[in-house]
Amino acid sequence: MSVWIAIICTGCLTFATRFLALSSLMPDKLPDWLRLAMRFVPVSVLSAMILPSILISNETGAIHFQDNMRIIAALAAIVVAYYTRSTVITIISGLSVIWLLTFWQ
Amino acid sequence: MKIKLKYQPRVLKNTIMLINSSQNSSAIREFLTGIKDGIPLQIGVIPFGIVFGIIGVDAGLTSLQTFFMSSILFGGASQIIFTQLFSTGTPFAILVSTVSAVNLRHLLYGMVMSEYLRHLPLGWRISLGYLLTDEAFAMSHLRFSKQPFSEYQHYHLLGGGLLLWFSWQFSTAIGILAGPTIPDSFQLEFAVPLTFIAVIIPSLTQFPYIIAAICAGLTALIFQFLPFNLWLLVAAFCGVGSAMISTYFMKPENSQKQEPQ
Repeated sequence: MSVWIAIICTGCLTFATRFLALSSLMPDKLPDWLRLAMRFVPVSVLSAMILPSILISNETGAIHFQDNMRIIAALAAIVVAYYTRSTVITIISGLSVIWLLTFWQ
Repeated sequence: MKIKLKYQPRVLKNTIMLINSSQNSSAIREFLTGIKDGIPLQIGVIPFGIVFGIIGVDAGLTSLQTFFMSSILFGGASQIIFTQLFSTGTPFAILVSTVSAVNLRHLLYGMVMSEYLRHLPLGWRISLGYLLTDEAFAMSHLRFSKQPFSEYQHYHLLGGGLLLWFSWQFSTAIGILAGPTIPDSFQLEFAVPLTFIAVIIPSLTQFPYIIAAICAGLTALIFQFLPFNLWLLVAAFCGVGSAMISTYFMKPENSQKQEPQ
């Protein structure tokens, strides 16, 4: 049940951030530093999600570099993302690399 | 995000031509242009929705919770972060505040859009606010900023937004249904960091963004020991803070206006 409440709460807060500036409640101008800060939020949060999910082992919960195929696959995906700028091609190439590496092991 | 439609389905083209020729059709024309502009974005949206459907059920959410999250929350990255925090047993308050913080950027979208939508009746503003995702914003902002003001231009956002909404619900449902048939050896959970890589790499064109990515990534690793997945909030804060400090030092002429914290 608390999952539903969490979904509804995050949903309401997300709607509020989307609607707030369209409503008349919003001050016309936010401070410059706040506008600047909001610009960096997506990059920061997503990078913070990416690095642990690549480096931290599911089994041990510790950072591991040796025989970590996800590092190679992620580096390949970064190169592909840089040159193609395509979400789909990036996902497919990253997954293909990890499948190939698993297959050869 | 700027995607050009390489081909136009003939049926759609004919429909648009037909409507163009009729009188008093600006609203429908804007609506259809919005749908047309949304079509190329589906290449990114549909696979993302499928991945979310698979991962949501995998993380222990019920099918209904996964499905309705797509309409209640309606934001790709934040939904995936929700399921990941949920699956690692994050307390309610931290989960809600982290996921909402991820969506704070939408405040900026609203601020840019309010210039074009402020005059509309409340019902319109509520509906368009609900549909204002990253993709819808990118698409309609491009249109609004290029075209001279027209009375019916908000129909563009409605058309594109609704297309994105329906395809998001549809692809989530496919993911929920298809998920159990996909074996674990496919490591589909790895598609999550890959999706995020695809989202952030194009934005890493300026120095402060690169600083934000590096600082946030490293602090996320360092603070893994924190309870309740608080590392994510700490890392986001460090990423934003470091980017602002680097902006501050890069633009001495703006130092009067900007503050590093």
